[in-house]
Amino acid sequence: MNPALAGIATIVVGGAVVAVSARDPRAIVLAMLVVMLGAPLIVVPTPGPLPILARVAAALLGARLLVIGLRGDLLAGGTAIGWPAETFVAAAAAVAGFASHGLGAAALGPAEAQAAGFALAAVAAAPLITGRDVLRLGIGSMLLVQAALLVRQALDAPPGDGEQLVIALLTIGLGGAVAVIAGAARATGALAIPDDGDGGPAAGRLRHADAHRPTQRELAREAASAPR
Amino acid sequence: MTVLPFLIVGAASGTLSLLVRSRRGWSTGIALLGLTWMAIVAAGIGSTATIDIGGARLAGSDWLRLFAILGSVVGLLLVVVDMAAVHEPDAPGVIVLGLASAVLALAAADPGVAVIATTAGGLAGVLVAAPLGAASRAAFVGSRELRALAVAGTLAILATAWLARPLDNLVAAPVFGVAYLAFTVAVAIRFGAIPFHLWAARVADAAPGVALPLLMAWGPAAFAAVALVWIDQSVAPLLVPLTTERAVLASIGALSVLLGLVAALIQDDLEHVVGYTIVADAGFVVLGLAVLDPAIWEPIRTWLLLFVVARSALAAWVVAVHGGFGTRRLTELAGWARRAPALAAALVVIGAAAVGWPGLVAWDARASIASMALPEPLATITLVAPLAGIVIYGRILLVGLARAGTAVRGGRSERPGWPVPRPSRPMVGLSPVERAFERAGHLGSSLVDIIWTVPAATRSNRTALASVVVLVLAGLAGTVAGGGLGVPAAARAVPIAQPGPHASPSAATSPEGPGGSGAAAPASVEP
Repeated sequence: MNPALAGIATIVVGGAVVAVSARDPRAIVLAMLVVMLGAPLIVVPTPGPLPILARVAAALLGARLLVIGLRGDLLAGGTAIGWPAETFVAAAAAVAGFASHGLGAAALGPAEAQAAGFALAAVAAAPLITGRDVLRLGIGSMLLVQAALLVRQALDAPPGDGEQLVIALLTIGLGGAVAVIAGAARATGALAIPDDGDGGPAAGRLRHADAHRPTQRELAREAASAPR
Repeated sequence: MTVLPFLIVGAASGTLSLLVRSRRGWSTGIALLGLTWMAIVAAGIGSTATIDIGGARLAGSDWLRLFAILGSVVGLLLVVVDMAAVHEPDAPGVIVLGLASAVLALAAADPGVAVIATTAGGLAGVLVAAPLGAASRAAFVGSRELRALAVAGTLAILATAWLARPLDNLVAAPVFGVAYLAFTVAVAIRFGAIPFHLWAARVADAAPGVALPLLMAWGPAAFAAVALVWIDQSVAPLLVPLTTERAVLASIGALSVLLGLVAALIQDDLEHVVGYTIVADAGFVVLGLAVLDPAIWEPIRTWLLLFVVARSALAAWVVAVHGGFGTRRLTELAGWARRAPALAAALVVIGAAAVGWPGLVAWDARASIASMALPEPLATITLVAPLAGIVIYGRILLVGLARAGTAVRGGRSERPGWPVPRPSRPMVGLSPVERAFERAGHLGSSLVDIIWTVPAATRSNRTALASVVVLVLAGLAGTVAGGGLGVPAAARAVPIAQPGPHASPSAATSPEGPGGSGAAAPASVEP
């Protein structure tokens, strides 16, 4: 085991646990930043300065976009089982990932990356499956993709500079997508999913209301038909 | 020319268009300019031109060039229809960025890079599925879309990484089947194939109609093309039968074809009709991925191009109808064909291109895919199932021929008109010289009158303009469905790709390919 890689992997997994456990959006963004900054470093050999710079810039930009989308005093749902349980889940998955390094064949990357990847996937599962607010769902999606990238680092040869650039674009895209969704949810005053069978006014309806923004023409028609 | 200029233009214009999104006119103008430029640049992509960027090779091919040209032209026409009909924000920029990322994925010789690129491109769609200021449910729709993209991307990244290394000492052979199933199921998720269709159905409800082709057809089509290359590089050369996995995949494909058509038939919302017909068409793509024979290469790549263009034309038709009559619900559109005969003609052409008949390239591609993927009589049932499209289009046309309802009577017709009467200028000159000067002056004044009125005339003839563009798109769909624009030749063309770690030496050098069926070995040939 490489102690440096193990240390970085531990920090990354810790960030993931905080990201799925915290309720304060600022803590969640900071934890995700730790994950996005640390994940590309769990690789042998360490990438050159340019790819690292691209990944760091992408992580910062992704986090910045998240911050923009999460302005205000809204709170995320947080974990239902508490952070100690999330930590144990992550630790168990990390051990499984470390022990199964290579998944049946000789791997070209470090075992620590696979351990971190398994841990991230394990903590991402609950928000993805049972997430009750858009931020938790988004964070779960981000963690799942980061988990896949970590397992890829463990199984295959280290990503080249070009691939690092494309991964950087993906990181920015993920941050932007979660920010856009959170921004749309924020307009309703909460991050909770509004009508996913939660007993809300639209719950249980076979056909949901049209989610389109009204066109100029429709707005004019509504204005004309409104009682004076 | 390499694919790089296309990518630079797409990335620059798409990003700029979204950055100035608060000024809708500027945003759309930049996207239109970008798409025009992309179409021009795409025509110059060389089929053997390659470029290495940081160790990642980007290679052109005839199919990639045709995909890029058709994508740019169709995107351009979609944006024009959108401008004329409803003018949704963000959609033009998202179309440009999505197209650029799809072409990047297709150009990447390494499937590992390609899946990351196409996943990143799909994220742009979230911007239009969950736009700022939309109804609250849009955030929920966006979350579901993001989750589907993340799951599909994760499965594909894992599958490519799993089989990308030498597996000489592999202790568990089922790994191949799991990896193959993971990637192909990821394709099914991206297309919204049944039973993974719930997120796609919600996106069809929430996203602007003009962006639907990109979200549900063009982006996933690039993903499927990457899967095809990966299967040919990494799975087919292993000569493992993978019977169970292929049966599962064929079931998903056949179910999507049959149930997608049933769902489209019972839908009342026209955008849902577009969404479910895309799901049904995508079923043939999923069916094609269940075939490990390299002979599937040509029909599946032909079908990918045909169906994305045909469904883009249908989406444009829906946008034009929505813009003209202010509703997408079929029950409120009685008499639409009487008020918009050009749109009715376009729907007939789109229906003919989408359904097809024996002998048409579209039909033959579907027949090849069905016969290779399914046993009889399932193959025949799946092949003739798209004939149900006649009922789908016929139902819409019948509603259009009925007596006009309130929405249609209050909507805009296609009849061209001029916003203001042209002023009359009587001749008062007596001598021929005076009258000649007067005529010249009147001619200049009339020209200025016309130029000043062009913006208002464009606005008042928006439905007619949209109908003409939809007719052009329908014609393009018909041409492509008939094998025009070199579609079959492009589908046969061999792309440049890095050989997979499991490609046998004979596969890398022999034109017979890994399956040895006489077809070209698509992904195993070095430049």
